[in-house]
Amino acid sequence: MSEKVSGTVKVSKPERLFNLTCALLYTRNGLTKNEILRSVPGYENEYSDTGDNSSLERKFERDKASLLHNGIQLEVSIPAHEDENNQATVYSIKRESFYWPKNIQFTPRQMALLNLAAEAWVGGSLSTAASRGITKLRAMGAIGEDSDIVGIAPRIQASDPSFRDLNNAISDRLVVNFDYRNPKTGEILTRTLQPWLLQKVAGQWLVMGYDELRQEPRNFMLRRIVSKVTTVKPSKNFSAPNLEQVAAAVAELDALAAKQTAKIRVSRDSEAWFRYELDLQGNASSDEVTIHYHDLYVLAEELREYAGEIKVLKPEALIHLVRAGFEKVANDHA
Amino acid sequence: MPDQMKLDDSDRYNLMLALTGLLVQGDEYSLEELSKRFEVSKEEIVKAVKNIGYLDMAHFENPDRYVVDYDALDEGYVRISYNLENVVEDVPRLSSRQASALAAGLVYLSSLPGLAENEEIQELQTILSSGDSRGKTPEVIVQPGSKDADLLIIRQAIKLGRTITCDYLNLKGEMRIGRVIEPIRIDLRGELIYLKGWCPENADVRSFRVDRMRNATLTEHPISDEALAAELDDEVYHPAETDTLVTIDVDPEAYSLMVDFRPVEEPQTITPHVKRFKILVGDVRNLGRIIAKFGGTARILEPETAKVAVREFALKAIGELQPSAPEDAE
Repeated sequence: MSEKVSGTVKVSKPERLFNLTCALLYTRNGLTKNEILRSVPGYENEYSDTGDNSSLERKFERDKASLLHNGIQLEVSIPAHEDENNQATVYSIKRESFYWPKNIQFTPRQMALLNLAAEAWVGGSLSTAASRGITKLRAMGAIGEDSDIVGIAPRIQASDPSFRDLNNAISDRLVVNFDYRNPKTGEILTRTLQPWLLQKVAGQWLVMGYDELRQEPRNFMLRRIVSKVTTVKPSKNFSAPNLEQVAAAVAELDALAAKQTAKIRVSRDSEAWFRYELDLQGNASSDEVTIHYHDLYVLAEELREYAGEIKVLKPEALIHLVRAGFEKVANDHA
Repeated sequence: MPDQMKLDDSDRYNLMLALTGLLVQGDEYSLEELSKRFEVSKEEIVKAVKNIGYLDMAHFENPDRYVVDYDALDEGYVRISYNLENVVEDVPRLSSRQASALAAGLVYLSSLPGLAENEEIQELQTILSSGDSRGKTPEVIVQPGSKDADLLIIRQAIKLGRTITCDYLNLKGEMRIGRVIEPIRIDLRGELIYLKGWCPENADVRSFRVDRMRNATLTEHPISDEALAAELDDEVYHPAETDTLVTIDVDPEAYSLMVDFRPVEEPQTITPHVKRFKILVGDVRNLGRIIAKFGGTARILEPETAKVAVREFALKAIGELQPSAPEDAE
């Protein structure tokens, strides 16, 4: 039995969460908060019939959030005859939403791929999520080994300080504020966003969401967020975007890169010559290359690396940007 | 031996759910098997199994339990007899974040040619989204980088344990024809792909950028014992004793430098936006391009030699980018 501490049974947090999950799965008509606190091990041993249970109630609120973050959907309902009485709110877990659809099996090869996909995340909120997710999948049958999948070490960095807070806000569907630096003017503006999705595009992390200031979906580059990401107070939930809205915003971003082009000339056999693959068959007839880009400032940064090996031909704005960056660097290091 | 995770309370709870989902199917497992399967220590498995056995539903007028066979557990086997209905009877679904982290990781893997076909990735993504408890939109997406044809050869060489030859453009911009590399591991690092390989010439493990590689060719030669025994880590660069200590200030736009180069100590916060950190650099001349590319959001404070390297790189670039008449010309 669990460890006895001065007459009461000490129940660890994982054990309490497990007990709570089982009780909510088992109940037919749902349980009220009081029923839970009085009967689920982990609460009941601290429950007072006469005294103050407010710290226990807070514990229950935190545990509800833990369940939710683990992908467990709580059913919350108020029986019809108990109108607006929050003491009568009942909680349960619907079995259909709790288990995987029947008959899902992963092959060893699929498990090996999924293991590798989980390993790719280094540190941060998604690394934790991937490892908890893969733990569940590992309970579903095959063990992942495949001789084809050896000698590969993928790493996706998500090290921006704002990443975790944005990720949490997306999960909890909470509106956030942050200060964002306009790359063109250097001006910093506080933005209010309903964050939908974190996306890594061309090496840059973006958060996509509904911009409450501009009243439309927008993308923000995480590296240009210059403050902490905070949820608006009082906290404000937004309704989830539908799949079409997200797909449209993602497609718009792709269309932008298809539309925006720059042209550069590259010195033969230089490093840039390799980087832009001018040495490969089919490209070798010219020393000019057209580049599609999402963001002019990111492209300028990339091109500055190859200074001396390339000449920017167009657009005009890019020529100026590359040069202005070098001028600032020269001044800063004078 | 796989790395064993350090678990926190939420991980342990998650493990209990997963373990129950597996064990209620009725099979017996050894502690070794379970420790290997879940990549956690045997102690964690024992703790989780015991906790599953403590579940007490008496308050809910259910006298049944998950009955753990403690004698078997003492001998290193895990078996629970299951007479507890309508509690945890199968593996629980994923949260949206768990599903999308795995799905995005899969897409990232598809940058490796020949590893997985698009259909295979899509099939897995469909399964993952069917197991996503909210089943709505993804929380995170990673677009795959560009594929490189030489990677097919490299992957094959790793699988077969053979060496390759290739043409390689080194950091000094010199092309080396027919360089021999004994491939050990492919490291995907954001947009860049490196080959970690044993270099017989230097008798050491080196990181090669795959995009600087051309004409990779598989040879008949098996890789050497040194390559097989080589210890790999996650670093692309290893500092040497002769390295120079360089202090850098960065705006958020250049924080990535703190990830790309391991700072020697915890970065300091200078203003709410600006961070200061120190790195070890082999040749300060290489800092020119690394710092100048940021166009002002990264600044070197010291030493002077490093500042000069950056300044000269920038000035030279301006001259070369725009070879127009000097300002004092007529």
